[in-house]
Amino acid sequence: VKVLCYSSFTFSYLNRARVLFQSLRRFHPDWELVALITDCPPPGFPFDPANEPFDRVVWASDLGIADFESWLFRHDIVEACTAVKGPFLYQACASGADAVIYLDPDTALFASLSPLEELLETHDILLTPHLIDPNDDHAAILDNDLSASRTGIFNLGFVAVRTTGEGVRFARWWNDRLLRYCYDDMPNGLFVDQRWCDHVPALFDKVKVIRDPGYNVASWNLSTRKLSIEKDGRILVNGALLRFWHFTKLGAVGDAMTKRYAGRNFPVYEVWAWYKRQIAMTTDTAIPDRWWTFGAYADGEPIEKAHRVLYRERADLQAAFPNPFFSGAGSYQEWLEHEGA
Amino acid sequence: VRGFFGRVNLARLDRGLRRSLPHPDRALAAQAFDARFYLVRNPDVAAAGVDPLGHFLEFGWREGRDPTPDFSIDAYLAAFPEASATDINPFVHYLKAGKPRLLPADPPQGFRGEILERLEPVENRLKAVLTKSILLSQPEDLGNALQKSSTGLARLHITFSHDDFTAHMGGLQAALQREAASIATHGREHLHLFPVHPWPVVRTAAEPGALGVLWNGERLGVFSAATVAEALATTTTGTDSAGRSFAIHSLLGHTADETADILQAAGLSAGYFWLHDFASLCAGFHLLRNDVADCGAPSSDSAACEVCVYGPWRARHLTEHAKLFSRLKLTVAAPSEATLDFWCSRTSLPVAATALLPHATLHPRGVARAQVDRPFRLVYAGLPVAHKGWPLFQALAVRFFDDPRYEFIHLGARTAANLPIRFEQVIVGPSAPGAMQDALEGLDADAVLVWPLCRETFSYVAYEAAAAGCAIITGPDSGNVAAFVAEGDHGWVIADEAALMAAFESGEVCALSRARRRPMLYDLTYSALTADLSPQGGNT
Repeated sequence: VKVLCYSSFTFSYLNRARVLFQSLRRFHPDWELVALITDCPPPGFPFDPANEPFDRVVWASDLGIADFESWLFRHDIVEACTAVKGPFLYQACASGADAVIYLDPDTALFASLSPLEELLETHDILLTPHLIDPNDDHAAILDNDLSASRTGIFNLGFVAVRTTGEGVRFARWWNDRLLRYCYDDMPNGLFVDQRWCDHVPALFDKVKVIRDPGYNVASWNLSTRKLSIEKDGRILVNGALLRFWHFTKLGAVGDAMTKRYAGRNFPVYEVWAWYKRQIAMTTDTAIPDRWWTFGAYADGEPIEKAHRVLYRERADLQAAFPNPFFSGAGSYQEWLEHEGA
Repeated sequence: VRGFFGRVNLARLDRGLRRSLPHPDRALAAQAFDARFYLVRNPDVAAAGVDPLGHFLEFGWREGRDPTPDFSIDAYLAAFPEASATDINPFVHYLKAGKPRLLPADPPQGFRGEILERLEPVENRLKAVLTKSILLSQPEDLGNALQKSSTGLARLHITFSHDDFTAHMGGLQAALQREAASIATHGREHLHLFPVHPWPVVRTAAEPGALGVLWNGERLGVFSAATVAEALATTTTGTDSAGRSFAIHSLLGHTADETADILQAAGLSAGYFWLHDFASLCAGFHLLRNDVADCGAPSSDSAACEVCVYGPWRARHLTEHAKLFSRLKLTVAAPSEATLDFWCSRTSLPVAATALLPHATLHPRGVARAQVDRPFRLVYAGLPVAHKGWPLFQALAVRFFDDPRYEFIHLGARTAANLPIRFEQVIVGPSAPGAMQDALEGLDADAVLVWPLCRETFSYVAYEAAAAGCAIITGPDSGNVAAFVAEGDHGWVIADEAALMAAFESGEVCALSRARRRPMLYDLTYSALTADLSPQGGNT
C-alpha cells in the first residue's frame, strides 16, 4: 500500500510540523510525507525543504484554486489552513497513492500507525471522534461533550481515505465544501472543515469510526483516558497502545485544560514535557512570532477579521478588488479607509 | 530564593545590628531559635562573626534563611500567605499564633506533576559544568608524590568515582571511605580519581575535563588524564603489576578511554566495576524516568525512552561503558543480588565475572524489649526529598496526624515543611555512623517508610531500620529494599501508593507493630568493598 501523509500549516507552525514529521519518519520511513504550506518563507529565514523532515512541499498557491488571492483573503489563518486540506486531499487521490492520511501539525506519533493500513483494506474513510466515552460530570460535559457538539463530532486533526471508491467520493465532496464554506461561523452551523464531517456517516459508506483510545489523545478526551508508561517501554491509553497525541493549544490554556483533566495521571505531563522540549529544539528564531504572510496587506498593516468577513460577503468588492492584499491607490485597503468606515 | 543567599553585607550589618536597643521580638524568638543550626547552615554569617539571632531577626528571615531545622520559612509562607502580606517575620508570626499546624495542600496534579514542571533537560545541566573553568596543578606535583612511593607503587589501588569521597557525605562516599581505610590499614597506597566538577553524565573525549586526585586520602591537585597516565607510567615502568588493583565506582565525568589509558599505564587491565547505580544502562542512572517513576530500563527505542529527559543521552552511556568493558577485564560487583540480577538481565556488556558483597550485614543481638499498647510509630529516616519517598510520608502524615492510632516522626538532618509531626535531628557521619539506628531503636519505632521512587542498589536506611527492630514499609519498585524485606521478612512490600494509604485507613498496617512482631535486634557490620573482594585485597 502506497501511503501519502500530509499536514497543513504556516511557517509559525513549522516547529510543530517538524516534530510531527520526525515522528512519522521514525515509524513510517516508507510513507511519502508532504508539507502543505499556506504561507511564504519570512525574509531572513533560509527555508530549505531538503533539510526538513518531509519529502516535498506543496504551496497552497499551487493547488489551482481559482482567483487564489481573492479566495484566500476571505479566510483567517485557521480557516485558510483547514480549507486547503480539501483540495489537496482530492488532488492527492489522483497522485498514485493508495491511501492518503492527514494529520494536524500539532500531532505526534508514539507508535506505528500501521493498523490504519489494515483498516483501509476494508474501509474507505477513517475518522477519530473527539470523544469515544461520554462524560458524566457537569463541568466535563460543558468542556468536552458540548464543545464537540458545537465544533464537530469528529476531530479533523486526522482523516484517512482510500484514494478510490467512497474515499475519493468523500475527498471530492470535502474539496467542494471547503472551497466555499470553510469558515468559523458556529451560529450558522460552520466550524471550518469539521462540522461538515458530522455528515460523513450519513453521506458515505465504508466509514470507520475509530474508537481505539490510542488515537488522537487530546485535552478534550483526557477526562476519560488514563495513561500509563509500562516497564517494557510501551505507553498505553486505557490499556491500548498510544498511537498519536494531539497537542492542542501549546501554552497556558492547554496546560490548564490538561491539568484539569489529567489530574494526578502524571504520564500525561511526561508526554507534554517531551513535546515542549521537542518544540524548543525545532523552533527557528529567524521566524518571527505569529508570522503569516497573508495576515497583512502589502504595506505590512495587519488585516482585521472584519475586513475579511466584509470582503467574503460582498461579491461586488470581490469583483472590484481581485487582489485585496494590495496597498495604495485603488486598493481594497484604501477603499476601506474611505468608504468602508 | 532559597539556596542562593549571596554573601553577608558587612556595611549593612553594621547599620542593622549595632543598634543599642534589642530587637522587639528577640525575647520571644530566642525561646525557639537554634543558633548552632543557623550558623552551620549559613557559613557566611558564621564567618562575619555576628550574633546569629540578631542577623535572623534583622535580615535572615527576609532572605529565606530558616531559624531551626524544623521550621521552613518558605513552607510557612506558602501555608499562611497573610504572613507574607504583612511584612512580619514568619517565625515570629508562628510563635505568636501559638505554633499553628501546617497541613501542606496536596497539589492537584500530584507531586510528580510538580517535579515534571521543574524538570531540567540534561543539556542545561551539562552546560552548567562545561562553562566552569578548570585550573590545572603543576604536573610535577603528581609525579613527585608518586615517585616518593618506596615500593614503586607495587601495591597500588586505583579507584574512580564521581566525586571526592572525603569532601562529600552520602552512602557511596561513606562506602569509599571504608574501602580507602581498609587499603590504608594494610599498608597499601591509594590513588583516587574524580572529575574536578561534578558531571551529570559520562564525559566524551570531545568535552574538556580534568581529574581531581586524592593520594592516600590527601588532595593532591587537579591534573589532565594524560598527566595522570604519564606519571603512573613513569613511576611503574618495568615493575610488576601483580600487587596492584583497581575499582571503578562510577564513570560519571570520566571517559572510557582516559580511564582505560590510566589503568594501562599502571599495567592494569583486570579489576572491579561496581554497580552503585545504573549509569552503565542509562544516563538516568537511577532509572527514574523523568525523575518520577522507575522505568525498568526498557529498550532504547521504546516510547518510554523517547519521552524521557534521559533518553537522548542513553546512547552516550551505553557507548562509553561498552568501550570500557571492551578495553578492560571487569568483574562486576554488586551490593545486592537484586541489583546484579536485574543488571545482568538488561545488559550485554562482556563481563569477566560477577561478585556479590552487601555493604552491610545483620548479626542477631537479641529480641527487642516488649512493648505496651501505644500508637503505631511510623518514621521517615533521612532527607525529605521526593526520590526517597518524602511526599508519600507527608501525605500519610497530613491525612492521619490527628488519628489516635498513629504517630509520625521524622528523623534527619533537616525537615522540609512544618508538618504537624515530631521532628528529631539525626546527623549520620563518620563520627556517628550508627546515629540513625540508635535513634530508631531509642524511639522503639514500629516501622520506617522506605519508599524510594527509584530502584535502590542498596539501602542503608533499610538495614538500619531492620537492625533497630523496625518493620520496613516499601513499594515494589524499590529494588533491593523490596528484595531485602521479602527475603528476610523485614516488613511489608505494599503493591502501590493507594494500597499504602488504604493500609493506614483500615489499620491493617498495625500488624507491623513491635508488640505484634516481637522483632529481633541486630548489629550491623559494614564491608570495605573492593578491599574485601580483591585478591590483592587487604592481604599482604
